[in-house]
Amino acid sequence: MMGRTIFIDPGRCIGCQACVSACRECDSHRGKSMIHLDYTDEGSSVASLPTVCMHCEDPVAPCAEVCPADAILVTADGVVQQADTTRCIGCANCVNACPFGVPKIDLQAKLQMKCNLCYDRTAYGLAPMCATVCPTGALYYGTLEELQAERPGVQVADTFVFGESEVRTGVAMVVPAERVQWPVPGGLPVVEINGKDVRR
Amino acid sequence: MTEPPEPPAAAEQSAPGARTGTSGGPHGRPSEEEPSVVARAVRHLPRSVSGRATLAGAVVSGLLILAIVFGSRLLHDFDSALLPYAVATVFLAFGVAYRYTVWVSAPGARRLFGKGWSSLFSAENFRRTPTALPKMIATYLGLQKFLGARSHARWAAHQLIFWGCVLAALITFPLTWGWFTFTSGSGSGPGYEMRVWGIKILGFDSLNFVGWVMFHGLDIAAVLVIPGASYFLWRRMKDRGAITGQRFAYDMVPLLALIIISVTGLLLTFSSVFLHGGGYEFLAILHMVSVVFTLIYIPFGKFFHIVQRPAAVGMQLFKYTDRQDDEVFACRRCGEAIDTGPYVENLRGTMQDLELGFDAWAEYCPRCKRVLRGNAYLTQVKKGFK
Repeated sequence: MMGRTIFIDPGRCIGCQACVSACRECDSHRGKSMIHLDYTDEGSSVASLPTVCMHCEDPVAPCAEVCPADAILVTADGVVQQADTTRCIGCANCVNACPFGVPKIDLQAKLQMKCNLCYDRTAYGLAPMCATVCPTGALYYGTLEELQAERPGVQVADTFVFGESEVRTGVAMVVPAERVQWPVPGGLPVVEINGKDVRR
Repeated sequence: MTEPPEPPAAAEQSAPGARTGTSGGPHGRPSEEEPSVVARAVRHLPRSVSGRATLAGAVVSGLLILAIVFGSRLLHDFDSALLPYAVATVFLAFGVAYRYTVWVSAPGARRLFGKGWSSLFSAENFRRTPTALPKMIATYLGLQKFLGARSHARWAAHQLIFWGCVLAALITFPLTWGWFTFTSGSGSGPGYEMRVWGIKILGFDSLNFVGWVMFHGLDIAAVLVIPGASYFLWRRMKDRGAITGQRFAYDMVPLLALIIISVTGLLLTFSSVFLHGGGYEFLAILHMVSVVFTLIYIPFGKFFHIVQRPAAVGMQLFKYTDRQDDEVFACRRCGEAIDTGPYVENLRGTMQDLELGFDAWAEYCPRCKRVLRGNAYLTQVKKGFK
């Protein structure tokens, strides 16, 4: 986990889309929102999940590893940048390899785009756009100590499990205290799809 | 309002896989103390890959030396004044072959490289869609339509640089290798003959339009490159999106190099036409140094995209031929098309090569991945999420 990073607490998310609008104002992808806000059980629940780039640390940036054009930069401070416009060939390897479903692709422009932790802002010590505008603190930017000072007793996890593989990330999620020693389930293996058991 | 501080120096380039930097950043983790996993993985290039790359570089540069020797009719047509340029192209050949070999040795590139070439040489593909490849080369590499989708201004500026550089390369490379010669039977013209490998290709009068174009091709190239490179330089200083994460050596140096080459080249003409050769020697050295530096820089910096970009045609061709068969792979959960079946299979293979154990995830669309993760969080982590 990075020193100053985003902490996501889906329990606080009210699905207001403020983060989606604010993300469009980011200078590195003006006019295009890179944050995803998904309603995980639409029609039955108001539950919503904001997804920013998790800036995977181990294995480091699967998107960068599968890129055939060496287009994805990982800065020294662990921020996985969006594709270098000079190099990206728009193959979509990163889009489909990302375990969190983060990168987007413009097939006409042959260009991948994704959340880069608002590097234009965080490089100057400012919080990312999404965390700046989130009215409920579902997206919080700071250090773990700052988060725990504001929310006593809060626990976070930065390890996710996909099947038998674990991914440690630079961005962390808030979890209940009793769950903190377990990796956060990433959804794989898929147990059921549309009410059908798909385990076999 | 005060000026913001300098952003942290971002990454230097290393290949393959990803690029990492050496300075600390805003997140309080100086890399000197704890280099990232990628940094460690990248810096230790497998010996077999570096050996293969060195061999490839040696073979290609050796072949170029032979081509120079034989193409200039055993150096008979070789212009010794252009020797530094010719030597720089030999270094360029070594660097490009070395970097290319390293690049295509990484799992992601290696697999797409193989698929691209097999699509290219497939007789079946050629029979069914004979125009696909020329069309892709024209629209993708020539007209670069994808750049127009990013920004019309960037497309226009890039086209100016691209065609200027193509023109300059077509003129200068064969000249420095002694492949082209311009000779006059009368010694001082105006009738000239252009010869390639000693064979007469055309004769022209240096005083008419064709002659003017022939002798000012590099000036025309410079006039194309200067506005294009200047626009990109202006953009790098004004556009806040471009400024984010930009690095002097990677983003600025190539533009400055192009501008310096073009301006000094034009000044050489200016000197000979208006100054009776005043300052010509100094300008010639300055021009040569800038060109030699740029040629040697090509394999290691931003200009390597010139070599990499054609790979995109192979990737497009690989997907295109499967799309003709409607071999589309649909998301296992929502049925949304992900990509072609062979592409998904290829990606899973790449992920397995890289020991990314969640390759089965590639069969789900990004949205379903997020929704399934949200549901898992909801049911297994924090039930209060509802």
